[in-house]
Formats: sequence, C-alpha cells, structure tokens
Amino acid sequence: MALPLKYNLRNLVVRKGSTLATAFTIGLTVAVFLMVMALARGIDTTLSSSGEPLNVIVVREGSTAEMNSSVSREQFNDLRYLDGVVREGDQPLATAEIITLIYKPRKGMSQGSNVTVRGVGPTSFKLHSGFHIAQGRLFQAGLTEAVVSKRISERFQGLDIGDKFRIQTTDYTVVGIFESGGKAFESEIWVDVNSLASTTNRESFSSALLRVNDANALAALSKRITDDPKLHLKALSERTFYEDQQGIASGALKYLAGFITFIMSVGAAFAGMNTMYAAVARRTQEIGTLRVLGFGRVSILIAFLLESMAVALLGVVIGILLAMPLNFVSTGTSNWNTFSEIAFNFRVTWDLMLIAFAFGAVIGFVGSLLPSIRAARLRIVQALRA
Amino acid sequence: MRFAKLVLKNVLRNKLRTLLTVSSLIVSVFLIVSLATVLTEFERGSEESNPSRLMTRHSVSLAFLLPIADLQRIQSVKGVKAVMPFTWFGGIYKEEKNFFANFSADPRKLREIYPEMKMPDAEWQAFASDRMGAIVGRKLQILYGFTPGQRITLKSPIYNKDVEFVVRGVYTGGDEKTLFFSHEYLNELAPEWARDKAGLFAALANTPEDVPRIGQEVDAMFVNTDAPTKTESEREFAASFEAMTGGIKQFLYAIMAAITFSLLLVMGNTMAMTVRERTKEVGTLKAIGFKRHTIAGLFLGESILVAIVGAAIGIAGAVLIYRSIDLSLYIPNLVSFKPEPETLIGAFVLSILVGVVSVVYSTYRVTGLTIAEALRSTE
Repeated sequence: MALPLKYNLRNLVVRKGSTLATAFTIGLTVAVFLMVMALARGIDTTLSSSGEPLNVIVVREGSTAEMNSSVSREQFNDLRYLDGVVREGDQPLATAEIITLIYKPRKGMSQGSNVTVRGVGPTSFKLHSGFHIAQGRLFQAGLTEAVVSKRISERFQGLDIGDKFRIQTTDYTVVGIFESGGKAFESEIWVDVNSLASTTNRESFSSALLRVNDANALAALSKRITDDPKLHLKALSERTFYEDQQGIASGALKYLAGFITFIMSVGAAFAGMNTMYAAVARRTQEIGTLRVLGFGRVSILIAFLLESMAVALLGVVIGILLAMPLNFVSTGTSNWNTFSEIAFNFRVTWDLMLIAFAFGAVIGFVGSLLPSIRAARLRIVQALRA
Repeated sequence: MRFAKLVLKNVLRNKLRTLLTVSSLIVSVFLIVSLATVLTEFERGSEESNPSRLMTRHSVSLAFLLPIADLQRIQSVKGVKAVMPFTWFGGIYKEEKNFFANFSADPRKLREIYPEMKMPDAEWQAFASDRMGAIVGRKLQILYGFTPGQRITLKSPIYNKDVEFVVRGVYTGGDEKTLFFSHEYLNELAPEWARDKAGLFAALANTPEDVPRIGQEVDAMFVNTDAPTKTESEREFAASFEAMTGGIKQFLYAIMAAITFSLLLVMGNTMAMTVRERTKEVGTLKAIGFKRHTIAGLFLGESILVAIVGAAIGIAGAVLIYRSIDLSLYIPNLVSFKPEPETLIGAFVLSILVGVVSVVYSTYRVTGLTIAEALRSTE
C-alpha cells in the first residue's frame, strides 16, 4: 500500500527552510551545468548557422580560415561563370570579399582582441541573408565608411556611429550598426570591398562566394573547383566551412561542464543525504506509527525516495530559472582558428533542460537512497520507542 | 581547554552528518582550487615572461607573414643581441585531437634567445646539424613517447603538406609542449605564398631597459612597407593572447561564485539543523549558568572546525592530485597546472568565512531564547 503523495508534500512544507536550501544547492549545480553548456551551444549555433547551405565558399588550398586565404581577380572571374552558379538576370550570384583584422581594446579595458573587417560588394548582401541595418545607414560604395555589428559596437571601444577607426593608414567612419540574425557576421565590421582593397594594397580577394541551386550542384561545383590543378583553390559548402571552426572552443567547454557538474553533483548529493538523514531521524516515531498502521517497508522506502526526488525536481526548476536570463546575455571570446573575436549569445535550449531534469532526478535518487533504506529498515518497536 | 573539548565532542556527536558535510566541503574546495588554478595558469605566460625578449609580428594580424629579409634589419638595431624567425606551422600529429604547438625557428639561436630551455650539448648539436631535425618538450615526450632518432610526420593544414621530421632532442624548461624545427627546412617545402617569410621574429635584447626603444625603432623601420610590424615585449605579447579569452574569465568567476554560494547553503542548512536540534540543550546550558556568548562560541567553534577540516583535506587533495597528474598535458594552451599558494590560502580563508556565516543566523535565534522557551522546544 502506497503512502499518499500529500504526506510527502506536507512534510516538505513543514521543514521549508531545509527543503529550500537543499533545492537551491541542486539548483545551483543545475544552473552551472546549464551555464557552461549554454556557452558551448552559443558558440556552436553561431558558427553553424553562419553558413548558408547553398553557398559555396572558395578559398586558397590549405586555408582553414578566410584570413590566410587568397583568390585572385582572374580566378574570381573564372569562378563566376562556372556551370552551376545561379544567375539573377545575366549577373551571376557571386561575390568576392576581403578580410582583414584590426586590434581594438574592449570597453573598460586596455587590452582587447582582433576584430574582423570584411570588405563586401553589392552581391554580398544577397548571399548573406539576414543582414539588416539596425541604426544609421549603410556605407556608400567607394567611400571609407563602415557599418559595425551591434555586438561588436557594444563590446569594443570607439565603434559607435560617428566614431573613426584606422585600418593601416586610412581612417574609416562608422555610419551604421547592423544585425545579421545571430550569425558569425555579428562579430564583424563591414566596409566596401574596393575601399578595403585600396586601403590594404591588396590585389587579390580573401575568398569568393557562389550561390548554387541545390545540394547536387553544390557537390559538383565544389569538386570541379577543388580538383582543378591550375586553380590551387578549395571549394566547400559555406555551412561546413563554419561548422569546422567550432570544435576547439566548444569541445573544451563540454569537458569543463562535465568535470564541474560531476563534482558539484557529488557535493549536492552529500548535502541531500544530510537533509534526508535528519528527516528520517526526526520522524522515527512517525515511521513506527505508519508501520503499525500497516504500511510496509517498501511503502516507506518509496515515500522517502519520492520526497527527495520532489526536492531535486524543485531544485532543477530553480536552476533553470536561474540560468534562463542567460539567453539574453551575449559574450565573446576568440575563435582560435581565425585569431579574431567571435561574439555570441548563451543558449539555454530545451534539450539541455531535459538533461538537467534527468540529472536532477539522479542526484535526488542517489542522495536519498541510503537514508530511505535506513527508514525502511527501522523496527517497529524501536521506532516507536525513539 | 574545556571549551575546545566540548566543541570537539559536539562535532563528533553525529558522525555521519559531520562526515557528509566535510565531504561536501572537500569536493567544493577542490573544485574552487581547480578553477582558480585555471585562471592563474591563463596568466602564467605574461607573469613569467622574459623581460629582455621581444616579439615582432605583422601589425594587422598574426595570420599575415613578414618577409624574412626583415631579420637582418632587426638584427642591426642597437641593443639587439639575437633575433630569429619563429613561424607557426600548425602541424597535426596523426589525429586532430593530438594538438600541440609547433614552430620553425633557428636551431642555433633558439638556445640563446630561450635560455630557459635545457638540453644536453650533444642534442643541441644534433638538432643544428640535421636539416630535418626537430626537438620536443618533455611533456610531448610523456604524451606521445617521442624519442631521439624517431621519425615523425606532421600534417599541416596551413601549408597543405605532410612533413617528416627526425627527433634530435628533448628539452626541459619553458613551454614543454612545443616542437621546434629548422626554419630553413620550412622554407624549402613552403608553397609560393609562404616562401622567404616568417610568422614572427623573436629577439633578445641586451638588457630589459633596451626593450621599449628597440620595439619603437623596429616598428618605425617597417611602417611604410607592405608589411608593417608590431613589436612588443614578450609580456605584452602574451597578455594580448590572454585578453583574447575575453568573456571566459568572468565566466569562470561566475561559476566559482555559484559553487561558493551552494557551499554556503549546504553548510548553512546542516548547521541550522544541528543548532535547532540542540535547542533544549541550550536551555539546560543557560540554566546551569552558561552565558549566551559562550554557547554561541560553541556553535561557531563547531562550524569553523568542520570548515577547517573540510578545507584542509580539499586543498591537500588538490595539491597532491595536481602534483601527480599534470593537467596541462591535457588542456591545450596551458603550459603548467600548479595551484599557487595564494589560491590555496584564498580557498582556506573562504571556507572559514563560509563556516562563520552559515552558523550565525540559527545561533542568533536559538541562543536568544529564554531558558523556559528553550526547554519547552519541541525540536
């Protein structure tokens, strides 16, 4: 015969201080787990959503980043008219961009990081979807004007509208702030490609971007370019290109999450055990009474386990509530592939919350198993006499 | 004396509870020490830099190479003792997860510019006289079993090549997770765009006082060329790398704060249960003449004792574990993993504070009861 759930819930309310303290301990463990995983997710999502599935990016063979790549003007002209590149009217949907980096101090610090500056052409805006000006206006072609992503403008000094910054020996004026739907481009500054080419004395581009119609065309075009022995170029889907960059940073974070949460869970389980042992000790007579009334050992065991699990689940809810506001926080770190800043949002996703519930339940179970067994094994006579 | 005895008796009264609380403390303190050590290790590069060393890089980005001809001009600057090319190769040994730094350098000058690297003379000579020679740090030897004479192949995605090296020596000191090989060898196999180029120049000044002036003179020399430079002391160079970790640092602080707070809850909850259970006893003690502050002192002493024991074991555990397992072997970017004395003292003080704070409220309430109230308690 099972004890009514009400019995457990009322017990939790009676010792509410203790219940809350234990729940918060588990909650903090869950919150830390969610924090670290949300950071790793944020990096992954930013990078994997950056590439469009039907864009082919072309870089120099051997390049792992646009930064150390180069595509000459002649090569780009050949690439534009290859079979498979989508046309709009008689113009191919293809663009070539130049990447450079500038070193900027972070807000409130003297040290900073490298920020990517991307020189883009008119077609670039058709190939990178999601770009829109949030404030100010777009730069004018041919002028030394720039638009800065919102996140970079918020995190670095001297990148607000009206500010000037220097690339090599030329001053650029910030005329607008843009957003691009959470992609890696939100860690960049965009300027006119021809201005940037003359500023940096570059004759070649960093990379080329071509739009194709479907996955087959993408595979065929990539192979055609990569296999061409004269070109010395590498072509791949833009999505894969960005996804390949996520490994290092987020992989290390996932290990960190595992290490910290494991140790914190052990601590939380000990704390839970303490609370449950105290609860059992305090209710010894009560347990004796229940046994006299006919509740068996198994019912007692289950009752205590359930009670502890309820606390653990309350803890998970607290932990999720603590971690949720992180969804509105953005931060930045370096992309070690490009040596430049990547800004991203924390992402507390549904699957992470489910994992949090599962592991809250495990902490609750492990923490209460021994105390519950002790409760179940009490002998009626001794329990009543306690 | 009698006071201390009472505290000890109280601590041991509920052995299981004390054991669980102490265990919880141990793991939390261990975790705090570990995370704080990650933070101190992040900064070790700039903390332990050589004040006479300078690094020259392309002013735009590390991803751009500098012409090797710059080397002669840097060498000519007054106060420069030695200078060599220093180029990131990005080679991967067998699998991508075997990540370690590998640079090309000048085998003859490496020893002079990095005097902290120790290796037998014979190995230095063998390295200098073998075009394909490479030397590896002691930790790389531990991780991958590299031994002198062994042929190894690194695959570099940057240079798009598989390159074979012969291990000629194992050095200790400095960054022991790096492989160095000859810059001439790199130049022979480099594709067009990387030929006669270097990623960085590492220079040693005669005295640390020369460093700022040399930096300015070098940068002034190249300011109007295709490849303007940025020359910094090794400390600034390392600090700029450390700053690149950006938000990660605040993030680790946030985690440590969360751990401390959860520790406070664990201790606070336990001590609250302990103190409340003894309400009747407090009444008795008061009845036989104990003063309120003496009783409060007993509780405080008990909590601090538990905190000290937990912290001591946690700290000792961290020191012992990290002495026998060098975590830097497994974490890229970290040169060593040694908890600093400041970290250990900080963790200890923090635990004692937690011990004090967690007992204050319940003690204040229970010892404030009158004798009659305390004796009537149903706890």
